[in-house]
Amino acid sequence: MPNPSTPSQSPPSQSPPDPTPPGPPKAPTLDLDLTTHTLDNGLRVVLQRDNRLPLVAVNLWYHVGSKNERPGRTGFAHLFEHMLFQGSEHVDTNGHFKYVQQVGGMCNGSTWYDRTNYYETLPAHHLDLGLWLESDRMGFLLPAMTQEKLDNQREVVMNERRQRIDNQPYGQASEELFSLLYPDDHPYHWPVIGYMEDIAAATLEDVSEFFSTYYAPNNAVLTLAGDFDPDHALERVEHWFGGIPRGPEVPPVTHATEPLGGERRAELPDDVTLPRVYMAYRIPKVGEALWYAADVFTYLLASGKASRLYQEMVYERQIAQDVNAYVYPTELSGTLYLSATARPGIDPAEVETALTEGVERYASELVEDERLARARNRMLHQIYVQTQKLDGMADLLSESTTLFGDASRVGDEPQRYHDVDAEAVRDLAADWCQREERAVVTVVPGDRSANGNGVER
Amino acid sequence: MSTPRKPGTPGAPGAYAGHDAEPVPHAPIQRDQPPAAGDVEAFRFPSYHRTTLANGTTLLAARASRGPIIDFSVLFPAGAEREAAGEAGMATLLGGLLDEGTAELSALEIAATVERLGGRLSSGADWDAGSLSLQVLSRHHRRALELLLDVATGATLPPEELERQRSRRLAELLRKSTDPSHLATKAFSRAVYGDTAYGHSLLGDKDTVEALDRERLLDFYRQCYAPSGAILVAVGDLDPETLAAEAEELLQGIEPGSAPPRPDIQPPALSGRRVEIIDRPSAAQTELRLGHAGVPRSHPDFTALTVLNAILGGKFTSRINLNLRERNGYTYGAQTAFVGRRGPGPFLVSTAVGTPVAAAAAREVLHELERIVAEPVEEDELRDAQSYIIGTFPYTLQTVSGVVSRLENLALFDLPDDYYDTLPGRVRAVTREELLRVAREHLHPQDLAIVAVGPKEELEPAMEGL
Repeated sequence: MPNPSTPSQSPPSQSPPDPTPPGPPKAPTLDLDLTTHTLDNGLRVVLQRDNRLPLVAVNLWYHVGSKNERPGRTGFAHLFEHMLFQGSEHVDTNGHFKYVQQVGGMCNGSTWYDRTNYYETLPAHHLDLGLWLESDRMGFLLPAMTQEKLDNQREVVMNERRQRIDNQPYGQASEELFSLLYPDDHPYHWPVIGYMEDIAAATLEDVSEFFSTYYAPNNAVLTLAGDFDPDHALERVEHWFGGIPRGPEVPPVTHATEPLGGERRAELPDDVTLPRVYMAYRIPKVGEALWYAADVFTYLLASGKASRLYQEMVYERQIAQDVNAYVYPTELSGTLYLSATARPGIDPAEVETALTEGVERYASELVEDERLARARNRMLHQIYVQTQKLDGMADLLSESTTLFGDASRVGDEPQRYHDVDAEAVRDLAADWCQREERAVVTVVPGDRSANGNGVER
Repeated sequence: MSTPRKPGTPGAPGAYAGHDAEPVPHAPIQRDQPPAAGDVEAFRFPSYHRTTLANGTTLLAARASRGPIIDFSVLFPAGAEREAAGEAGMATLLGGLLDEGTAELSALEIAATVERLGGRLSSGADWDAGSLSLQVLSRHHRRALELLLDVATGATLPPEELERQRSRRLAELLRKSTDPSHLATKAFSRAVYGDTAYGHSLLGDKDTVEALDRERLLDFYRQCYAPSGAILVAVGDLDPETLAAEAEELLQGIEPGSAPPRPDIQPPALSGRRVEIIDRPSAAQTELRLGHAGVPRSHPDFTALTVLNAILGGKFTSRINLNLRERNGYTYGAQTAFVGRRGPGPFLVSTAVGTPVAAAAAREVLHELERIVAEPVEEDELRDAQSYIIGTFPYTLQTVSGVVSRLENLALFDLPDDYYDTLPGRVRAVTREELLRVAREHLHPQDLAIVAVGPKEELEPAMEGL
C-alpha cells in the first residue's frame, strides 16, 4: 500500500499546553477498513477487511487474566487457558489443534495480567471452522472437562513453569521484582504463570466456577481480520455466537496503587556466572499520554546501538554485557522495567548506579530533538512491522476494544507516539521514576535452592 | 485510512452501536461436525525479479504490499561452515563486526544513521552465510541501500572494535555456561559432528575466541565478502527494476573478487546410541536432545522429509508432541526438525522434561522413531500434514521479512526459480510409500546421540540401557 498520509482524527495529546514547535508533518494513520458491531448477548465484534492474502485471523479476547485470581489460586487463568484446548461438547480432546492444523491453520492462546486471548489464522475459506471452534468453547465447555484432563494439563503447566522460570538462569528475577513493586494484595503482585503449589492445587470446581464467572460473550471481544465480505462474516458470527447466553456482569478489578514510600530491594542467588540488575518503576496505565512517553523513553534508553544506555554502559564504559528496557501495557498501572548484565569483574552496584543515573538524567534534561526524531521514526517503523500480520493487527484491535472500547483508535497509534515531546519524557522521568518508588532485584552467582523452587516465599 | 463502517445507529467513530438489526431467531444449529469450507481462493508465491549484476552479485527483489516499509538483506558465502579447526566463533564474530565501522563512518555514526532512516540494521553469520539486514521506512530506500552496501563492502574491522566484540563474546560465553539449552545444543553438535566445522559452537569457545587474530579476520573478509558471491534481497514497497539499476550503480567500481569453494562437510558415522549427560546438579528440569546428521537442504528428498517431520514432531498434533505432552504430561512441548543447511544439517529432537521422567521420555521418543521407520503412516496423518504445510505457506508470507527469507533460500540453496510455485504440488504428490522409504533412508533410531542436561546423579542410572 502507498504511504497513507491522511491527517489523524485523534484528539490532542495531554502534553504541556505550550504550542508545539514546528516539527515534521503529522504522523500517518494506519490503513484500516473497519466494521464494528455488538451482538444482543454483548459480544463485541470487530471486522477488519484486508484481502492482500487469502487468510483470515480469528482473535478472541476475554477480559480476564491473572489479576482476577486470588492468592492460593495464582496461575489459574493460565491453567484454564490450557483447558480450553482440551475439547468442548462438540469438539474432542485436542480437536481444536487437530481441526485447525489439518486445514493449514495456526492457532494458540496466551494469558497476561489483564486478559486471555485465543487466536487462529486460517485459509480464508475456513472462516466458519474458526467460528465453530471458538463458539463451542465459549458456549459448551464444561461437559468436556474431566479430572484426567486437568491432571494432565497441571503437569504440562508445571513443566512450562520449570522450562520458562525455574530452570532458566535469571528466570525467577521478574516475579521477584513484581512482588516487591506491587504489595501482597495488589493484583500484579503474583506472576501470570502462578506459583507451583497453587498450580498443583487447582480443582475441577475451580474450572467450573471460573468459566461461569468470566467466559461469557459480554466479557469478550471477537476480531476477524483478513479476506472476507463483512456482511457475510457478521452473519456467520451471529450464526455461531448469537445463541450463547449473556453471562453475569463481571465486576471490574480496581486497585488504588498507593505510593511505596521507600525503595524495595532483594538479592537473589542463582545458577549464573554474571550478576544482573533488574529495576522497575510504576508508571501511568496503558493508553495514557505518559504511557506512550514511557515507551519512547525506553527506546531512547536502551533500544539499539544508538541508545543512551547502550552507548554508555555497553559500548564506552564496557561495564555491562547488555541493557534492556521495556514498558508493560497493563491497565491498572503500567510498569517500566530495566535490566543490565554486569561484565565479568564488574560490581553490580556500579551497573545499578549507571542505570539509575541514565534514568534520572532525563528528569532534569530535555532529550535532544535529533534523538527524539529518530525514536519516533523507529516507533513508526515498528508499528508497520507489527501490523503486517493479520494476527498482529487483530490482536491490537481486540486490545483496543477491550481496554478502551474503541477499535478505530489503533489507526491513530502513530500519532500518539508522534505527540510525545521532550517535555513529556522529562515529566515521566521526573514524576514517575523516583528511587523511593521503585523495586530493585540483583541476581548474583550462588545457590538457587536457598530461594525455594518457585514456591511463594 | 480509517473508514469505520458499521451497521447500526450512528455514534462516535468506532464506538459500539447497539444491535438494531431484526432479531435473529436462534434455531438449534448443527455443531456436531466441523462446518463445510467455503470456496478456495488461489494463492501464488509473489512474483519476483532475479538478475545478476555486472560484478556478479545475485539480486532478488519483490514488490509486496505490506505497508510503507522495505527489508533488505545481503548474504555472503562466509558462514561458519568455513571455519578450520581452532577457529570456532570466527564467522559470527566477523559477522558482528561488519556494522562497526567503515572508512567514513564509525560504529556509532552507522547506528545513528540507521535510526534516522526509521530502521534497524543487524549483522551476523550462521552456518551458511555472513549477512547484513536492514529494515527501513520505504521513503528512505535509496539512502538505505547505499548505507547497506557501503557497510557490507567497506567494513574496516577497526582493531578497537574487534577487542570490544571479543571481550563481549567472552562474557557471553561465560554467561551461557549455565544456560541448559545452550549446553545441550553444544554437546549435541559435538557428539554428532565431531571435529568438522558443524561440531563447533557458532559462538565459539573461550580458547578459540581468545586466539582469533585480526589478520586472519581481514583475510577471511577480503576473500568471502566480495560482490561476486553476494546475494542481495529486497522486498516491500519498491519497484524491482529501479532497485536493480540503483544497486548496479552503487556497486560500480568494487572488485568482484571470488570466494574459495565451499567446504564439503562429512560427519563421522555414528554407530549405536551414544548417551552423554551434562551435569547440572540443581537443575529443576532436564533438557533432552536426540538425533544425528541429516541431509543438505538441496537434497531431492527434502520435501518428503518436511512432510515426514510434520507427522513426527513438526506441529502441535505430531506424534511426539501428543505422546510426550498430551498423553504423558512429561513436558511443555517436544519438537523435531530436519535443519536445512548447505551441508548435512542435523535431524534433531528437542524437549525439556521433568528429571524423574527424563529416561521415560527418551524411550518414548525412540519408540516413535522406531515406529515411523517400521510401518507406513496412516492415510489421514499424511493428508493432515500435507494440508498443514500447504495451508500455512501463505501465513509465512504475510511479512516482508517472511518473503525475504524465502528469496534468500532460493539463492542460498540453489533451488529452482519455480521452487515455491511448485511447492504445493510437490507436497500433495508425496505418498505413504515414499514417506516410509525416506524415513528408512534418513532416520536412524539405532545410531544416534542422546544428550541430557540435568542432575547427573539421578540421570545416569535411569538412562542406562537406552
